[in-house]
Amino acid sequence: MSDDTGADQLQAEARAAWAIAKKDITIYYLKPNIIVSGLLFPLFMFLAFASGKNVPLGLVIPGLISVTLLFSSSTIEPVSIPLERRTKTFERLISAPVSLHAIVFGESLSGFIYSMGIALVPLIFGLIVFGTAIPNPAELTAGMLLTALCFSTMGTLFAAYPTESPGDIMSMINLVRLPLIFVSGTFIPLDAMPPIGTWISYLSPLTYGNDLIQGAYGHPSFFNPFLDIVMLLFFFIIFQFVAHRLYTKFNE
Amino acid sequence: MQAIEVQNLTKQYGDLVALDKVSFSVETGEIFGYLGPNGAGKTTTIRVLTGITMPTGGTVRIFGRDIVTDTIRARRQMGIVYETSNVYDDLSAWQNMMFAGELYNVSRRDREQRGKELLEVFGLWERRSGRVHGFSKGMKRRLTLAMGLINDPQLIFLDEPTSGLDVQSNLIIREVLHDLTGRGVTVFLTTHNIEEANITCDRVAIINKGRIAAIDSPERLKKTIQSVQSVEVAFEKAGTEALADLRALPMVSEARKEGDKVRLYTEDPATLLEEIMAYAETHHNRVVSATTLGPTLEDVFIRLTGLEKQVRGGEAGE
Repeated sequence: MSDDTGADQLQAEARAAWAIAKKDITIYYLKPNIIVSGLLFPLFMFLAFASGKNVPLGLVIPGLISVTLLFSSSTIEPVSIPLERRTKTFERLISAPVSLHAIVFGESLSGFIYSMGIALVPLIFGLIVFGTAIPNPAELTAGMLLTALCFSTMGTLFAAYPTESPGDIMSMINLVRLPLIFVSGTFIPLDAMPPIGTWISYLSPLTYGNDLIQGAYGHPSFFNPFLDIVMLLFFFIIFQFVAHRLYTKFNE
Repeated sequence: MQAIEVQNLTKQYGDLVALDKVSFSVETGEIFGYLGPNGAGKTTTIRVLTGITMPTGGTVRIFGRDIVTDTIRARRQMGIVYETSNVYDDLSAWQNMMFAGELYNVSRRDREQRGKELLEVFGLWERRSGRVHGFSKGMKRRLTLAMGLINDPQLIFLDEPTSGLDVQSNLIIREVLHDLTGRGVTVFLTTHNIEEANITCDRVAIINKGRIAAIDSPERLKKTIQSVQSVEVAFEKAGTEALADLRALPMVSEARKEGDKVRLYTEDPATLLEEIMAYAETHHNRVVSATTLGPTLEDVFIRLTGLEKQVRGGEAGE
């Protein structure tokens, strides 16, 4: 019987989280519903909106990156976890010698990696086709990483709802994701919103992620970049702990 | 050291008491059977013992470690094989094994070596690269068991390991079980197959309505109901009429038709045999075979779980 140290356990937790992420990457990345929800849906929705605004497409790249991160990062777990409940493979995870935090993080990690890959598409497209400059790449990196982390954890949180049907989770999460687009400054700049809209935007993590990404592209920022980073970390931690609480509750 | 020590374990879901002050212990190296009808509390017990569900009251210790306060370390000693073959259909057998090893923090070298050994033992090595999607039910079951052993556990929970399997898979799994116990691994086995428990387990616990009805070795449990002896008799002509007549005998407590035979429960098999022979002679219905049987573990199970009326009442006279 091993009496390992905290560092050993932390290493074991990290390995398990990575194993869960790898498993999800292998199984779910090419599932049709993941491609539709995570890639095509945000792209077509944003293009539909952008075409009505009559602005140069190069200017909408930061918003497109934000929306892509929102949808692609929060799509894997709402599909994978209900499916794994159905096949009882989720039991395998929750009975493993790792904490629920590691399981939640591992599940979120697959969404995180997926969305980072997908978000590179509009980023590279903007660079090559429109020559969009990125005056502050550090802000862009922080904005993309934290936005993806935040919303992939949100996806895992919603997937805690004890159902075996991905459609149930998708319906619930879309009730949150769709309004977020309109109150977070991706389509309508925050300073162009009515006061009530601005106040609501403070409650959306996408507001801070989008603000950071817009700032990275040299567009006007609404908040200080450090505040954006702190708020994204704050939302990530909240989502992580609420997800942990819900998985504990629903495992009963 | 005891592998499992359960004291006053209680689990409530609202007003429903799923486990009511359950206490038992399992010695290291023992094969412990856990029997009970559907809804008796078997699954809840396993979920609590493996730390998936928190108990409402009482304590569970796995090799001395409290499952509530030291869950992760307690789980490291375990392998868990679920009733459903919960393997990843979209992965290969090898990928499934490696994933299970990674979850249990088995080093790369160990999991590759052990993965190969286990897939060979379970007759899956040749199919290691193919997606599990194409596997038969028996192959998936064998893979589930192999995954449960990847961390070389000292205690393994087997939930209905051989339920509905083909003969080959059954034989392999039984052989592995035999090998595990030879190496001192403790086995906690739930099964509906009472005969399997009878021949496999050192001791069995019978749980009913969330309470332990009995715990002992199969043979000692059978001795507790010696009154449930029976005579199994086959007549030359169909036994339906004989069943009705013989059921009326005063020493017969229960009668049922079993295939082409009639089974009569009694406390006095000697007298009953005489009556059967007399019946055969007067009705010109020759006895083809007659066997006196002691109580089976199934009889004990039925008696202790109160299923007697449901089961025998439903079958008698059919």
